[in-house]
Amino acid sequence: MKINLNFIEACSLLEKNETTSVELTKIYLKNIKEAKELNCFNTISAEQALDDAEKSDIRRKQGKLKSRFDGIPIGVKDLFCTKNIKTTASSKILSNFIPSYESTVTQNCIDAGLISLGKLNCDEFAMGSTNKTSFYGPVTNPWKSNKSEAKLVPGGSSGGSAAAVAADLCVVSLGTDTGGSIRQPASFTGTVGLKPTYGRVSRWGIIAFASSLDQAGPITKTVEDAAALLEIIAGHDPKDSTSSIKEKESFLDNLNSSVKGIKIGIPKEFKSDGLPVSTQKAWDDCKKLLQSNGAELIDISLPHTMDALPTYYIIAPAEASSNLARYDGVRFGIREEGENLIEMYEKTRSIGFGDEVKRRILIGTYVLSSGYYDAYYIKAQKIRSLIKNDFNQAFEKVDAILTPSTPSTAFEIENEPNDPVQTYLNDVFTVPINLAGIPAISIPFTNDENNLPIGLQLITNSFEEQKLLNIAKNVQDTINYKSVPKNWWKS
Amino acid sequence: MEFDKDSLYKLGKLSKIQIDDSKLESLSSDLASIIKFIDRLKSIDTENVDPTSNSLDQSLVMREDIASDVNTADEILENAPQNELDFFSVPKVIE
Repeated sequence: MKINLNFIEACSLLEKNETTSVELTKIYLKNIKEAKELNCFNTISAEQALDDAEKSDIRRKQGKLKSRFDGIPIGVKDLFCTKNIKTTASSKILSNFIPSYESTVTQNCIDAGLISLGKLNCDEFAMGSTNKTSFYGPVTNPWKSNKSEAKLVPGGSSGGSAAAVAADLCVVSLGTDTGGSIRQPASFTGTVGLKPTYGRVSRWGIIAFASSLDQAGPITKTVEDAAALLEIIAGHDPKDSTSSIKEKESFLDNLNSSVKGIKIGIPKEFKSDGLPVSTQKAWDDCKKLLQSNGAELIDISLPHTMDALPTYYIIAPAEASSNLARYDGVRFGIREEGENLIEMYEKTRSIGFGDEVKRRILIGTYVLSSGYYDAYYIKAQKIRSLIKNDFNQAFEKVDAILTPSTPSTAFEIENEPNDPVQTYLNDVFTVPINLAGIPAISIPFTNDENNLPIGLQLITNSFEEQKLLNIAKNVQDTINYKSVPKNWWKS
Repeated sequence: MEFDKDSLYKLGKLSKIQIDDSKLESLSSDLASIIKFIDRLKSIDTENVDPTSNSLDQSLVMREDIASDVNTADEILENAPQNELDFFSVPKVIE
C-alpha cells in the first residue's frame, strides 16, 4: 500500500474496500514501533486501537458508519484527557493520572469513528517551543539537515503531534496551541497546523495551561485534512462556557481555492533583518504566487507586533500559575509526603514539575502578587486590547494576512540557548494571533538550503476558518509541496 | 528587578515550590532576564485603554441544569494518592 497516506486518501481506500481499518491500524502501529528513536509517543494504546478498528470494520460491513471518516487512525497530544488511558501532560506530576472522563475533542473524534493510536509527547504542560521540557525526554524531528547528522527539535509544544504526522506514524493528529504550539512545530516538520478561533473548539477536558489563549487544532499532511479534522472537533459544547455558539460548518465540502479578488495584507512589522534569507525568499515567493493567482497584495501595519511576546509572557504565566495550583498531591497525580500539609504541597510540586514549568509558575505568581498586579497583569491585558485592535483595523482593509510562521527553521536539540528569553523568541510570529483570539494556519512552502521545511502563516479574522483554509489550499495546490523526510529512524 | 535569595524564597512560598539552593543563581538570572524582557511594556501608553481578558465576543451561555452521572466519587477517588471513607486524605492540619 502507498505510504504517507493523507486523511482523505485513507478514507477513500476504506470506502473502496481496498484496505480495512484494522490493516491501517496495524501499519501505523508498526511504523510507531520502528520509530522509537523519535520518541513521539508517551503512551501507545495498541490493544484498544485494534479493538476499535475491528469495530469500525464491522460498522462498515453493516453500513452503519459513524461518519465518512470512520476507521482512520489518529494520534492525540498527551494534553487531552482520555478515559481510562493515561494522560500525563508530559509531566512527572501526572505520571500516574488516568482520567475517568473523555475530553470533548477526543469524544468528538470517537463519535466520528476515528481510532486513537495513543498519546503524543509534548512539552511539559505545553510550555515550550522545542519539546525538550517533556519529562519523558525530547521528541526528535524526522527531518535532518543535509549538511549534518545532528538531531533537530520538532518544535513545540505539540512536537510529538507534528513529528508523528511528518514521520507517518499516524494519518493526522491533534495538538493544542497557546502561543504557537501547533503552528511552530508544523512549520519545523513540513506539516499543516491550524489554530482555530478561540471558542471554535471546546477546551473541556484539555489540561489547562493559559485558559484565555488555549485552543485545540489539527496537525495534518494537507489543507483538506485540516479542514476535515477541524470539522470533526469543532462545535459548541455546553461544558465549556467559552465555546462559541456558532453552528458547525462543513469546512471540507465548502473548500474553494480561488483567491481572485482576495486582499492579502503584508504587515511591515514582521519584516526583520534577522530573518533567514531563505525564509524571506519563501515569503516573497508566496506573495508573488498569490498575486499571480488573482489576489491583491496590500501593505499593512500591526504596530504592536513586537509588544505581543512580552505581553504573552505576563498573561500566559499568570494564568498558568493559577491553573497549575490544582497539582498539590491531594486529588490526583503523585504525592511526596511531608511533615505537614504545606510541606507536602511544596515537596510534591518541587519534585513533580520541571524547571520551565517552575519558572513560569514563579513568574506568573510574581506578576499577580500584591503590588505588581496592576503594573504587569492589568497592563498586559490593556496591551492585549491594543494588539487585538491592530488586527481589527487590518481586517477592515484585507481578507487575510501572510507572514512567515517562525523566525528560523528547525535547530539542533543540543543547541538551545541558556537564556529562556532567547527560546521564547521562536514564537514571535505566532503569539500575537493567540492574544487576538483569531485563527491562523501554518503550511509548508518550500525547504531551505539545508533541506529543512519552511512554513508560512496565513491569518484571518475571527471565525473565518473557511476563508483561511481556502487561501491555504490555493497556495498548497500551486506549489505542490511533496517533500518528506528520509526515514533514517527505521530500526 | 533583582531576585535575591530572600525574594526567591518568598516567591517560592507563594507558589508552593521549594527553591533549590543549588539553583539559586541560575534561577535568579533566568527570572531577571524574563522580567527585563516584559518590563519593556512599561513605556507603552495605556492610559485610555480597557483591558481584554477574553477575546471571544460572546456573553455567557446558560445550559439546562440536568443531572448526569459522570465523575462519581468512586471514579474520582481512584486518582487520589490517599483516600479514606470517600474523602481525600491529607496530613493532619490541626495540632
